[in-house]
Parts: sequence; structure tokens; C-alpha cells
Amino acid sequence: MSRGRAISAVAALTIALSLVAGQASARSSAQITVYAAASLTDVFPKIDPAQKYQFGGSNTLAAQITQGAPADVFASANTTLPQQLFSKGLCSKPVVFTRNTLVVVVPKANPAGIRSVYNLAKPGVKLVVAGPGVPVGSYTLQILKNMNLSGSVLRNVVSRETDVREVLAKVALGEADAGFVYSTDAKTVAGKVTVVKVPAWAQPKVQYGICVVTKSGDKTDAQMFVKKVVSKRGQARMLQYGFLPRVKKKR
Amino acid sequence: MKRTLLSCLITAVAIVTLLFLALPVIAIFAHTTPAHLVDQLSNPVVRDAFVVSLKTSVIAQALIVLFGTPTAYLLATRRFPGHAVAVTLVELPLVLPPAVAGIALLAAFGRLGLLGSTLDALGITLPFTQTAVTIAVAYVASPLYVRQAIAAFEATDPNLTAASRTLGAGPTRTFFRVVLPLAQGGLIAGLALSFARGLGEFGATIMFAGSLQRVTQTLPLAIYAEFDQNFDATLAMSGVLVLISVALLLGLRIGLTWQRSPSKRSLYLFGPSASG
Repeated sequence: MSRGRAISAVAALTIALSLVAGQASARSSAQITVYAAASLTDVFPKIDPAQKYQFGGSNTLAAQITQGAPADVFASANTTLPQQLFSKGLCSKPVVFTRNTLVVVVPKANPAGIRSVYNLAKPGVKLVVAGPGVPVGSYTLQILKNMNLSGSVLRNVVSRETDVREVLAKVALGEADAGFVYSTDAKTVAGKVTVVKVPAWAQPKVQYGICVVTKSGDKTDAQMFVKKVVSKRGQARMLQYGFLPRVKKKR
Repeated sequence: MKRTLLSCLITAVAIVTLLFLALPVIAIFAHTTPAHLVDQLSNPVVRDAFVVSLKTSVIAQALIVLFGTPTAYLLATRRFPGHAVAVTLVELPLVLPPAVAGIALLAAFGRLGLLGSTLDALGITLPFTQTAVTIAVAYVASPLYVRQAIAAFEATDPNLTAASRTLGAGPTRTFFRVVLPLAQGGLIAGLALSFARGLGEFGATIMFAGSLQRVTQTLPLAIYAEFDQNFDATLAMSGVLVLISVALLLGLRIGLTWQRSPSKRSLYLFGPSASG
């Protein structure tokens, strides 16, 4: 190897390494990273298209934040997970920014003939739910408990998915006979699935919590984002996508 | 002077490379105490995932050997129109993103897939079953065995095969008594790599087979599912997978060195298996 070549090789290596390093730390000003529940996949970019988003099971995201992931805002499909991060000093005190309800979705062809939640107990039904640590998974368990169906329906579970959109995908593809998702998720693939309602009396309290991550390098913009979500405009967007107002209206 | 500088530089780069590769593996074991890791192995989630992984892997590898060996032999010894296409087909799963493999398997074998209605008529539903896991593993891991097997068969000396035939052994006998023993080293190496790759299968499995404890939840799926619940369990499972991979690669190195020594090699050719 000639000296010239050696030098250019070193130069190339240095450039490559600095690019990697740059990617790891660089953050263009004012753009923050929002870790948000999978059910918010469609609505959050509509509220603020300028930010970077990472969607997934709230529990996975919370675990990543605990392990030091570079998130600025955490928006969870429950209040338990952000509350846990708050008590560990990892994020600010969470506020409720929206609410939701659960439904059962079945493929348009409805091969198992599911017409009510009770039909899910029929032998042979291929039911897909989210894992017990995922918020929608624990809500599912609550519904089944409320309806006294835990034993008979849980026998039919063929897969425990890592977030609500995975549950939805398996049903929309027609591979599963039914799945528990948020009513807002069902709306995103309306042409592929039919909604079977879960009775109001069996619904769990589904509240979404949002907080600013303590280690965020840009707390001002993170707080701005939270404000945007709870603002009138942000809330109008949430309603447009089928979410419920953050405060339950008193009758 | 120039030379020493260069060699210093190369050594430094090599050290950085090795550190980069070693650090994540060391970190798995550094995070908790060994006793704690062993403790986690009795965790039912870990145990069940281990059993599912082992069972599906063993069946998948048996299928890969059973179907892959003749295919590799054909591709190594015959030239026919479409040969290049066939080899590409064999190699494709190796470079295909696992998620694409999962979608492809669903599109082919899913309920609404190409063969879905045919399978349905036979009363077979594949998605969400252990069979689906086995199929995903076999699809994704097979190239590692078949490629190696093709290379091993291509490397066998045609003179030895010809000699066997002139000495009166039929093609079947020649294959089992001469070709297979000659290619043995390569075949075992391919199998070890294929096994290691299959054990780590994630993307295709989660899409095609779902994830359910005791049924379809393999070690990698359990690692993903437990990540937020029980970090220690994920470390324990990761540790198990690292140890298996290291054991396989190490065994392979030792086995191959042993094979290459000429005195041992003659044992294969003229030993009891070849003369009997």
C-alpha cells in the first residue's frame, strides 16, 4: 500500500466514523423525538408534522426510555406507564390528553361468524390480542373479566402481539378471526374489517398520558409539543380521528 | 519506518473492530451475575421458549437436510437451462429481509394466500401454529446449508466418483459411500450455520406464526416480548443464544481443522464405512 493510499484510507475511515458519531448525537434544532403509542400513529403527525416519531407498544417505548433512549416526549396509551417513569424521576408528571374505547374487529368475510363479544368463546375461534404488558392487552383482559369471559375466551388466543397495530394487521389480513383493538384503530382499515361493539358497561377506563422526558435535550420544545396536543386545535384533530375528549363531559 | 507506522495503524484498526464486536456480547453477561442468569432459566417463559425453539429448529433442520442435500447435489453436478435461476432461488432467503420473508410466507401459505384455499380444503390452517414457525425457520435458514452443500459437492474429486463406478458400485452406492463422506465436512459446517441462523429467526416468525407462549413463542420472540417486563429474563435468553452460537462456531472451527489433517481424511475414504 502506498503512503497516499494509506492516507486516503484513514481519511475515509475518519469520515465514516464522524458520520456515525454525527448521526448519534446531531439533532436539528427544534425537531424533537416523540415516543408514542401505536394507536397514535395516524393522528400525531397530523397534529405536528415537523417532529420525529417513534410508534410502538407503550410498554416497549417506556422500557426503551428507562434504558436511556433519546426521547423528548412520551405519549402512552395508559397513565400507569408514564406515572411509573415519573416516580422514577425519568419524566415529568403526566397529564391525560385523550381517551379511547375498545372494540372487537373481525375480517370483512367474518369466517368465524362473530357477532358479539360472547361469540369469541366458541371453540376454534382464532383470537389475537396484545401481550399483557401492552396497554391494550391489559384493557382486553379487563373487558373479559368484566364480562365474565376470561376463561372461555382466553383459551382461543392464538397470538399475543407486541402492539395494537400488529393485532389489527393480523385481522385485516384475514389470518385471525377476531382481535381486540381501539375503536380509533378500527377506523383506519374500515374497508377490511367489521367492528363488533364492546358493551359500554364492560369498557375499561382508557386514558392516555403524556409527559416530557427528564433527559430531554430540548425541554422547551417538548413542552410546546405537549401544549399543542392538549390545545383546542390538537384536541379537534384527536376527535376527528375518533378519540374522545380528554375530560369526560359531565351529564 | 513507513512499514511500522502502517502495521501499527492496521493493528489499531483491528483492535477497534474486535472491541466493537466483543463489547455487546460481553455486556450481556456483565449486566447481571451468572447466578442470576441461571436463576432465570427456570422462569417458565424462558423454559417454554427454549423448548419451542429447540423443537422447531430440530424439525426444520431435518427437513432442510432431507430436501436440501439432493437439491444441492443436483445443482452441483448437473448443468441445465435455468440452473442460475435455481441457484438464485436457493440463495434468495439469505438476502431477503426477514419481514419480507414473513409477508411472502403469509401471501403463499396464509388463509387468504395463494395456497390458502387448497390448504383450507385439506383442513390445514398454518398461521399461528408451530408448523408455521418450522416453515419460517426452514425458509430463512435453508440457504446457509444448501449453499455450503453445493460447494462441498462441487469440491469432491470427480476421479474418485468415477473410480468407484468403474469398480462396480452403482450410483446410489457411490453417492452414499464416496460422495457423502467426501462432502461430509462441508455439509456439517452448513448445517451448523443453518441451525444457528434458524435459532435466531425473528421477523418471518412473528409475522407468519405470531407469538404465543408454549406454542409459537421462540427464544427471540420471547426476548422481544419480555424486554419491557423482565429485563433479566431477556438477558438470560440472550446469554443462552450467545453461548449456543459460540459453541456452534467453535465446534465448527475445531471440526474443520480436524477434518483437514490428511491422516484423518484417509479414514473417511478407506475406513470401514467406505469398504463395507
